Amino acid sequence: MRNGRIALAVLAALCSAGCGRTYGLPRGATVQAQAMYQDWTIFFYAGLAVAAIVFTLILVPLVVWRRRSEAYPPQFRRNNRWEFVYTGIPILMVLALFGVTYVEEARVERLAPHPANVVDVIAFRWSWEFRYPGHPIAVVGTPQSPPALILPLGETTRIHLTSRDVNHAFWIPGFLFKRDAIAGIDNYFDLQPTHLGFFRGKCAEFCGLDHATMTFGVRVVTQNDYARWLRSGGSSAALSPVGGPS
Amino acid sequence: MTTATAPSPRSDPARRGIVEWLTSTDHKHVGTLYMCTSVFYFLVAGALAMVIRAQLSQPEMTLVGPHQYNEVFTLHGTAMIFLFVVPFALGLGNYLIPLQIGAPDMAFPRLNAVTYWLFFFGGLTVFSGVLVNGGAAATGWTAFAPLSGIKIATGGGQDLWIAGLLMTSVSGIFTAVNFITTTFLYRAPGMTMWRLPIFTWEMIATSLMILMAFPSLAAVLAMLYIDRHLGGQFFQAGAGGNPILYQHLFWFFGHPEVYIMILPYFGVISEIIPVFSRKPVFGYTGLVLSAFAIAGLSMGVWAHHMFTTGVVANLFFSGVSFLIAVPTGIKFFNWIGTMWKGSIVFATPMLFAIGFMLNFLIGGISGVMVASPPIDFNAEDSYFLVAHFHYVLGGGSLFAIFAAIYFWFPKVFGKMLSERLGKWVFGLLFVGFNATFFVMHFLGDMGMPRRVYTYAPLPGWGTLNLIASVGAAIMAIGVLLFAYDVVTTFFSRRYAGADPWGGYTLEWWTSSPPPEFNFTSLPPIRSERPVFDAKHPELARPKG
Repeated sequence: MRNGRIALAVLAALCSAGCGRTYGLPRGATVQAQAMYQDWTIFFYAGLAVAAIVFTLILVPLVVWRRRSEAYPPQFRRNNRWEFVYTGIPILMVLALFGVTYVEEARVERLAPHPANVVDVIAFRWSWEFRYPGHPIAVVGTPQSPPALILPLGETTRIHLTSRDVNHAFWIPGFLFKRDAIAGIDNYFDLQPTHLGFFRGKCAEFCGLDHATMTFGVRVVTQNDYARWLRSGGSSAALSPVGGPS
Repeated sequence: MTTATAPSPRSDPARRGIVEWLTSTDHKHVGTLYMCTSVFYFLVAGALAMVIRAQLSQPEMTLVGPHQYNEVFTLHGTAMIFLFVVPFALGLGNYLIPLQIGAPDMAFPRLNAVTYWLFFFGGLTVFSGVLVNGGAAATGWTAFAPLSGIKIATGGGQDLWIAGLLMTSVSGIFTAVNFITTTFLYRAPGMTMWRLPIFTWEMIATSLMILMAFPSLAAVLAMLYIDRHLGGQFFQAGAGGNPILYQHLFWFFGHPEVYIMILPYFGVISEIIPVFSRKPVFGYTGLVLSAFAIAGLSMGVWAHHMFTTGVVANLFFSGVSFLIAVPTGIKFFNWIGTMWKGSIVFATPMLFAIGFMLNFLIGGISGVMVASPPIDFNAEDSYFLVAHFHYVLGGGSLFAIFAAIYFWFPKVFGKMLSERLGKWVFGLLFVGFNATFFVMHFLGDMGMPRRVYTYAPLPGWGTLNLIASVGAAIMAIGVLLFAYDVVTTFFSRRYAGADPWGGYTLEWWTSSPPPEFNFTSLPPIRSERPVFDAKHPELARPKG
């Protein structure tokens, strides 16, 4: 069992090294994702430290103080000093983690005063509709042919998210972000992509029969391509070919 | 281990007919029925889990269809939570509380029997959905409206789910009333509140949470039924209702529920570790106060399940959720302090208790992570979250349940489970559990959402899912070995005696199984471990 634990720790260490020091998480390809990633990294290290300390404290007595005779050990209990320490340190730790959360949460949730673009995203059973207000473009998908969301690189796009029926959730793992789509509620958030390419999107809130196949694509294009694409009324021929999924 | 030396009356074998069991109001019969029924539901829910893991073992499998898959995980979650982890704790509380406080029975024995039958028929009602047109409920254990509304969940399965859970929620409320009344009014002379065993304390805290949380569950279920059949619009956007209201009411129950599923098992661990470290518990007062700190804080964290809805005060619920790490930490350090400089015996209950600590710590750490909204924005509803709550409920509560079974089985049935097989059961479950659920952290980070019946063949997904499925199969072998152990034990001659482990609390003073009305004599009660004091007067706690 102890060996198993050590193996797991080694595995975690190897993975964090092997996955380009991302601790299992992709880096996230938006400005907002940098906050999510920063938050993750700090919590990952804090969690690793707590795990190392507490696992050691659990395993030490198991090795050192196994029963060696029938005699009972000293029947001591309570120690105010230690109780103070093991209450105080966790309090300081969660205060610090709350501080980190406070800062990073604000970075993620911040809405730009004047976003360059707005896209209306409407979730329904079981696909997505993307509308670009001011342009005659409405992309409607099906589970068999998932729709693509086109975003310009480096510009802020305000997403206006809602649902036509049950609860859904708009999730782009490559952006480390999701938000629920709920009928009667208008949700707004900003995405400012930092990488060109294709990203997978999916519904994360269970919505019934075809929930698993309620996917969409996200294509981050250059600002020139984006402008040309909008002018063309949403023709994919207006876009330069891009690389594979990331 | 010390052998039985305490004066122990013999139980009356004539009172063991099936009719006696089914009509009994004896808390031991009710508790035993509770625990056996809940273990039966565990086996059913575990079999459903095997279907899930078989379906997901490779990309694009077609073992079950999407609707069947939705029924399977709905019943798996519903049964594990409402029909296993909670009722097992209530059954254990039923069995142990009167024994631990030196009482002859519960305060309201007939009400107690009613709670069992409400739970029994509630479970049957939920599962009877498989027989009706449209099949069982298929909207997850959370059954969020409007997905669970009549327009989409058209079948009767959803109604049976509502009816069954209403019965179990009423059952839970009655049980909580009984536990609180019994511990406050029926303690033996000398058993002051500050000498109550930790398990009993944890059950008091659990009962208080049940009294606050379960009415919200009953309300939301009733409202869902009204929406479905009586033209209500509680959860219907555009008609004055709001789908968010469902989530608030559900999670106002659902988060205390998470602690209702763990505090009793913190109690189990707090009983087992001192006995097998052969020392008193390190910080009794700290353990008691931390239980109530968790119970209190648990009422203010419900919306951390709703960070991604965009309409709750994320920072408030994040902050309160972080705070729960403090009393949970106090419990961990108390268990460590109890083992420190002890004389540790690696009996099967202790192995499961150690497994509990190691697993629960991982679940606790990932819990603090997802309590930070920016992390939760990615992790919510992904396999990272599935990993997190299985580490808490499976690695935590389930391991504590096995610890409890191996520890108290001799008391309940009078015979010892096999120590040799028990160690194998532990090994298989520990390895299988970690193989199944550790990899799910990575799957979540790679973008796998929960509650999907299939997934695309993306790099690494098939391999990690296969590891999880193999782990689940190892767990299944462990559970089958456990079942074999139980069956053969009934035919064995491994009689337990009153006190096979050198126990501390009053249940170890009386015979195994205890007679009707529990005790023919009681030792003097001068600390939280009267049986230890009576057997080792030279080591008993000095006065004051």
